[in-house]
Amino acid sequence: MTKLEIKDLSMRYQRKYILDNLCLEVESGELVVILGESGCGKTSLLKVIAGILEHETGRIFVDGVDISNLSPQKRNIGYVPQGQILFPHMKVKDNVIFGLKAKKLPREQIKEKLEWIVNLTEIKDLLDRYPHEISGGQKQRVALARSMVTNPKILLLDEPLSSIDASGREALALTIRRIQKETETTTLYVTHNQEEARLIGDRVAIMYDGKVQQIGKIIEVDRKPLNYLTAKIMGSLNVFPVSFYSINKENDNFVIVDTTIGQMKIPLSDTQRRKKITGIKIPPTEIKISTIEKKLSEEKESVIKKGIIKSVIEIGKSLFRIVVEIQGENIEYLKVDTENKELVNYLKTNQNVTLEIASEKVVLL
Amino acid sequence: MERNIDKQVERAVMVLALIALFSFLLSFFYLPLFKILSYAFQKNGEIGDESVFSVFWSTVTQSSNIRFLSFSFNQALISTIICLVFGLPVSYFFAQYKFKGKDLVINLLTVPFVLPPIVVLLGFIITYGENGWLNSVWKTVFQTDRSLFKIFGTVEGIIAAHVFYNLSVIIRLMIPAWMNLDYEQVEVSKTLGVKNFTIFRKIVFPQLINFIVSAALLVFIYCFNSFAIVLYLGEVKYQTLEVRIYKLIKNSLKFTEGSSLAIIQLLINTLIIIIYLFFENKTRQMARGKEKGIKPKPIKLKNTPLKEKISFIFLSLITLFVMLFSFSPMIAVIIESFIPYTKGISPLWGYLTLLSSEYMAILGNSPFRMFINTIIFSFSATIITLFFSLLIVLILRIRYNKLRNYKQSIVENFISYLIILPMATSSITLALGLFLKYRTTEVYLNYVWILIILSHVLISIPFATRSILAAYNRIDVEMLNVASTLGASRFFIFKKIEFPLIGKSLIVGGIFSFAISLGEFGATNFLVRGSFGTLSIAIYKLIISQTIQLPATMATILIILTVLSFLIIQKLGDIELKV
Repeated sequence: MTKLEIKDLSMRYQRKYILDNLCLEVESGELVVILGESGCGKTSLLKVIAGILEHETGRIFVDGVDISNLSPQKRNIGYVPQGQILFPHMKVKDNVIFGLKAKKLPREQIKEKLEWIVNLTEIKDLLDRYPHEISGGQKQRVALARSMVTNPKILLLDEPLSSIDASGREALALTIRRIQKETETTTLYVTHNQEEARLIGDRVAIMYDGKVQQIGKIIEVDRKPLNYLTAKIMGSLNVFPVSFYSINKENDNFVIVDTTIGQMKIPLSDTQRRKKITGIKIPPTEIKISTIEKKLSEEKESVIKKGIIKSVIEIGKSLFRIVVEIQGENIEYLKVDTENKELVNYLKTNQNVTLEIASEKVVLL
Repeated sequence: MERNIDKQVERAVMVLALIALFSFLLSFFYLPLFKILSYAFQKNGEIGDESVFSVFWSTVTQSSNIRFLSFSFNQALISTIICLVFGLPVSYFFAQYKFKGKDLVINLLTVPFVLPPIVVLLGFIITYGENGWLNSVWKTVFQTDRSLFKIFGTVEGIIAAHVFYNLSVIIRLMIPAWMNLDYEQVEVSKTLGVKNFTIFRKIVFPQLINFIVSAALLVFIYCFNSFAIVLYLGEVKYQTLEVRIYKLIKNSLKFTEGSSLAIIQLLINTLIIIIYLFFENKTRQMARGKEKGIKPKPIKLKNTPLKEKISFIFLSLITLFVMLFSFSPMIAVIIESFIPYTKGISPLWGYLTLLSSEYMAILGNSPFRMFINTIIFSFSATIITLFFSLLIVLILRIRYNKLRNYKQSIVENFISYLIILPMATSSITLALGLFLKYRTTEVYLNYVWILIILSHVLISIPFATRSILAAYNRIDVEMLNVASTLGASRFFIFKKIEFPLIGKSLIVGGIFSFAISLGEFGATNFLVRGSFGTLSIAIYKLIISQTIQLPATMATILIILTVLSFLIIQKLGDIELKV
């Protein structure tokens, strides 16, 4: 059981900061998913932790021991790069025991460890094959076995499911999770896919601008995203950026926000008043839909939007998602979730509809 | 701290490798080249009264030299164009159709390129010479004394020999170009109703042009620097710069003039090589990651449209003609080695004489000793070439470091420039440099074999290095990263991952340098003294003395060895015809 601490890590590439005073703590046996868009520095972070890339400032501690100046060979960190990279000229078995041989372990011990990891990763049938003779998912399991067999203190996984077909993805994700749990290996898992993060992570760390911007349990980050970008990276539905906002000096209970789906007047709480507004989030279940042009509820302040239905799909048992195109300066889409089957039966593609959102249900980000 | 020690060890190894490489290149390439420069600009290599450029200028502006320069250029241009005219359809034929034994035919068509030039010359003389097979048949059939084809002292002869020698380069390099063609673009254009000619002009041609230009430049440079063929077939009238330099130095002892021309030739070659590398790099970029090229189809004449039938017949006729043209000189040499040169002697006379001590007076040594020399020189040159090629690769491992800290490696760039110059230097210039630098030393006077071997090494290094580097660059750096995180040391990674992955290319590079050294003629002929001749030298001396069976026997031995080397290379990987 090992704790990983990263303090103020910085690294530049062609004058641009890829990692900018990045801080992160991963508890013993925990799996933290680093979620971020392509090019945000996720892979560089893993490479710096593994010792493959050199950083400029900052420290990396494993169980309180500073490993920042150790070579990759001495760090005992398992690294599984993107793209199932195996040694093509070696059989699966030789791939798996490569690290053990490099560490000059006695033959008996190698045999023992091989047997253990083969059972754990379920690759017994693959041992005598060459990498080109096995599938993508199998390759990834071999890559995982190769890095786990040396009992690494930390495991770093770089988009392990990125080139696996959709059908095998979930199974592999669960295999990774099972192995990680069984071995209680502290793990950093990098991906840009929110579904993977939801499926596998204990906690999720949202990364952009070279920093971990928000870290927490998935449900927490989902509920209370730090800002517009965090919500977008988490894959939240109906999230729109705010380009401009103004609070009336006389009545500061409301804010007027300019978004890509138009201007809106939203009630403002005390906590929201103190922070910068970067975007809005409209929960899909809080949108009312109608085919007639009128305000649906009279008593409350609400936002009315007109749009055209683009698709209606069933996403769960008696739960439907209606995608509505909103025409403004840009074309945007609002997703409306409803359980009203009667209404759904009545709706048609390309039908004009009116959407109503109660102002207090719009979340300011 | 610990990381710093690792770095220091690595740096120390790197410095040692750099010192070894630079001392070799400095002693046997750059200093000799400097010697040529000093001869070109100063009378007899010493500072005289005349101004620095006057000697050089008067040499290069001499009318005969300008004539030879323009001849070198023109014949190379014409040869290249003819190679393209025949090579392009033949390469298309091989890309378009699949049939049994196709790979073998392609391989055999490539053989002339790897054959020693002197063997090509001999094969050419036997097949198309004044008393050669073609003219004999012509004279017998038409009862005439006039030859159909004259190869001695004619431009046609020189160009035909160059086409024979280089056609394979075009075919070999253009097959992958056709195969790499993004055929989906053609199909999309067809669905858009675009006419075939427009598709060719707008879609196909732009994809091919870089391949065509780079292959053409390669052929041009080979023809421009042709030596053995022009030395013999051109007689006095036609000389390439390479032949002119040789004659000026060896026959007339005009060191200054020869050196001046060598400088001019080096400049032209460097320019062409730089342009070539530019286009070749573009072809590599284009070839990357494309799998949508032409899929070869089986030959089928039934139920095919007339237009396709005509195209097939046209292509196969050209291919057959090219095959006949390419194979006949090789076959002729082998057959000729069994035809008694005079009545009453055994067909095996040539092979028996190879083991005897006859012809000592002409050859300067016994034929068998020359065969042994050839093998020993080639073997030594191969070992040294591989050593230095590996050193270059080791130095270029800095690329790995560059990726670690995202910094540009100055050393890597410097080395790639450092290697261009030996690539652009012709064998005669290499030999001339070594000769001028060491002619008064013990090495030249008593141990000239060392210089012969080193000249072979210098000629082979660009080929071997490129073959090894191509394989090395295919290694995914991420693989090395993973290995290091698994605890593997630098040496362990090299031994277990990098070395096995470049192993085949090492063998390919090695065999290729062996084959080059086996038949090397220009530099060897320039430097050779006393008893250190090789089979190529023996063949040349015997052709001049008008004997055919013995040189044909020697040439047959060289053909067998070269073809064998070539087939092993083919089994293991691909040959880098490119310089």
